Amino acid sequence: MTGNVCFHCHLPLPDAEHFYAQVLGQRQAFCCPGCQAVAEAIVQNGLEDYYRFRTEAAPQAKSAALIPDELTLFDDAELQQDFVQQDDETCETTLTIEGISCAACGWLIERQLAKIAGIRQVAVNVAQRRALIRWQSDQTKLSTILSRLRHIGYNGFPFQPDKHEASYQNEQQGFMKKLGLAGIMTMQVMMLMAAHYFDWLGEMSSFMQQYFNWIALLLTTPVVIYSGAGFYASAYRALRAGSVNMDVPITIAVFLTYGSGFAATWQQSGQVYFESICMFIFLLLLSRFIEHKSRYQAMQISANMLKYIPMSALIVKDGATHPALARKLLPGDTIIVKAGELIPVDGVVCQGSSKVDEAMLTGEPTAVTKVPGDKVHGGTLNRSQVLTIEVQASLAHSLISQIIHLQQQAVANRPTAAKLADQLASYFVLAVLLIASLTYAYWYVMGNPQALWITIAVLVATCPCALGLATPTALTSAVAWLNRQGVLIKRTDVLETIEKVSTVAFDKTGTLTQGDFSIHAQWYANEADKAAVLAIAGAIEAHSEHPLAAVFARYRQGSVLLSLPHDVTIQAGLGISACYNRQHYKIGSPAFMLAQDTEDTSCPVLPSLPFTANVMLACNGKLIAAWQISDSIKAGVDSVLARLTQQHKTKTTAILSGDSQYNVDLVARQLNIQHPIAALTPAAKLDYVMQLQARGEIVMMLGDGINDAPVLSQADVAVAVGSGTDIAKASADIIFLNDSLHALPGLFTVSARTRQIIRQNFAWALGYNVCILPLAVSGILHPWMAVVGMSLSSIIVVINSTRLIRFTA
Amino acid sequence: MSIIYVLIPLAVIIVGIAVAVFFWAVRSKQFDDLDRQGYSILFDDDLPPEEKKLADERKRLHDRD
Repeated sequence: MTGNVCFHCHLPLPDAEHFYAQVLGQRQAFCCPGCQAVAEAIVQNGLEDYYRFRTEAAPQAKSAALIPDELTLFDDAELQQDFVQQDDETCETTLTIEGISCAACGWLIERQLAKIAGIRQVAVNVAQRRALIRWQSDQTKLSTILSRLRHIGYNGFPFQPDKHEASYQNEQQGFMKKLGLAGIMTMQVMMLMAAHYFDWLGEMSSFMQQYFNWIALLLTTPVVIYSGAGFYASAYRALRAGSVNMDVPITIAVFLTYGSGFAATWQQSGQVYFESICMFIFLLLLSRFIEHKSRYQAMQISANMLKYIPMSALIVKDGATHPALARKLLPGDTIIVKAGELIPVDGVVCQGSSKVDEAMLTGEPTAVTKVPGDKVHGGTLNRSQVLTIEVQASLAHSLISQIIHLQQQAVANRPTAAKLADQLASYFVLAVLLIASLTYAYWYVMGNPQALWITIAVLVATCPCALGLATPTALTSAVAWLNRQGVLIKRTDVLETIEKVSTVAFDKTGTLTQGDFSIHAQWYANEADKAAVLAIAGAIEAHSEHPLAAVFARYRQGSVLLSLPHDVTIQAGLGISACYNRQHYKIGSPAFMLAQDTEDTSCPVLPSLPFTANVMLACNGKLIAAWQISDSIKAGVDSVLARLTQQHKTKTTAILSGDSQYNVDLVARQLNIQHPIAALTPAAKLDYVMQLQARGEIVMMLGDGINDAPVLSQADVAVAVGSGTDIAKASADIIFLNDSLHALPGLFTVSARTRQIIRQNFAWALGYNVCILPLAVSGILHPWMAVVGMSLSSIIVVINSTRLIRFTA
Repeated sequence: MSIIYVLIPLAVIIVGIAVAVFFWAVRSKQFDDLDRQGYSILFDDDLPPEEKKLADERKRLHDRD
């Protein structure tokens, strides 16, 4: 892998400049100083072997997300209480590590951290992208560990594990033990029973047969008692709640087969089907295990994304400033927020004035000017000047926390489709139980000694094993495919809902657009003057505070102007007029151009333009330039939406934005979105979606900000884009790991395909059950045949589902 | 054929041991990450002296616990 790609990250090398380092005895080229520094650190630490054995390229070593100074915040004892377990001198924590791409990374990290004195244990789990670290708190600090990791190109963070993760892990281990036991025992019992079935020459003495039965009984007992315990418990819970579920016939079949097998062995007469019980339990457990595992994995990945980044603040005390954690701030404290920093909590400005970006909360991309006396909200970004703020509410009571509260309420009210499936299953189970008992009654009355075995064959043959596998295996395969496309699915059942989505709603800023303005189309009366015109526009617009004016700022620099504009008059919200070089210029909205001016009465004739201009420049009453300035749409979004509307004509598209109607309309026109809805608060977005749902619409919402969190929780399918805030990701069912919406059309197609596969699976499983039922009821089918048939049916279902993994969109 | 009466109980005992070993492996989280440890054999495990010292220290502390 030499030549034109970076040795570290395998990305193409930039043409301009390369960086070099000596690795594995050769001079290697790197794409950026970051990769070069990481490779040098790896070589210096004697860990070059990593490059020899890795199977995947490393991610590009970008500049660190946190500056080392901020890493020391993680050493705060109070903060550590949340994620570090301390025992005497040893601390233990689990970190999520960004950048692990293959098993060699695990080795690299373990070796690198093992060099720090005071480290007791490092265990990297490559599959989970996590590392368990134990260290002596008197010898080293967490910040040292984190900065060492950063040296070799990995970012480690404490994270917020899901509430249920610990119990999921226990369940996972339990499943593995039960499954292993059932598997091992099935093999043994099968071996013993094969002797029975294939004893065609009749060489086995009846004593030996009895002996085999006893051994098989001995081996089956732990499977029935231990491995099957989950089914009985679930059946018992369902019966106690006055309903039936799939586990009820399973439990009955297992108990009947085991009980009669036990009786037959005891009385030394009759048939035994021990191998059938073991295999039955093994296969059923397998399907539950697959389902559980995919859910557990999704939970881990999404927990990894909820990084624990402490918000810090500079608190003013006795005339000096000290760094402090945001959660320790109390009402009445005074804090200083520098330009470019997040305002940690709600408060009132007491000194300074600045522009504050409240897009996170309101979706409004235009920064708001805050002067002393104005209220500012936690979670918003201070853009331009230093602000001194008096804290009004602690972190727990700030607006951001209230939005989170709104989101949690929405989660509780969410409509569920799952209930219907449960209802269907219980009818199915009732039918099975009814048929089984009728069969037993019929054969018993007819005096058939095989009545019990025929009933068991009915229960096993109609066992919803393949039915149970139909959905989870298809969903798991689809999720595996989507993971490779950079899509993370947190709740697999949404895949079934996606197909039914009737309205796709987008948040604007951050999801469709980048949130900054740029020139999209331009027209000049004289194309040759373009540079000069832009320079003049820039010089005049320098006087404006309007967000659209900021676009021209970049043309101000580097241009040579004879003099500065004078006699500047600003009409708020409309435009500016000024004199420059003895000419009179007007720049502003089309309405401003047409408005009567006191100085000159002529108003310019607007030419017909190929685009809708929203900023125009006139010189002495003659229009000389026009621009369309809008929020820049993210790369690729237009093609994604074009594909979407083309493939799914019936789906309605909408924008739900907190921004002004004007900006939203502009984006909607460019992207051909049907319903642009603007100026919505987080609660209004939530209302809008609830109204749609009340009309029976199935809504998919895509968003990224804190303000989208409540509506994401309410939507039937919620998607958060990669650059989104943690709270948006926490509320979403689906997370796009990269920033673009490229995966969206694929999501729809794979969900349609998944539904198709699930239907095929159901058709097969039900068809098989229906066909086999008469055979079982009439007593032709032995229980062992029923089990073999059931297994084959299950295998067909699994193979059909795995077709989704190789799916090409 | 009477040897079967000895061999089968023996097999049952071995199966019992296998199950016990499997349970122990699951409990000690050996199935949590199936990728990582497979690679360990590829890497040199000769440690430079200063790292060796740290590793020995760690081992001593582990034994004490």
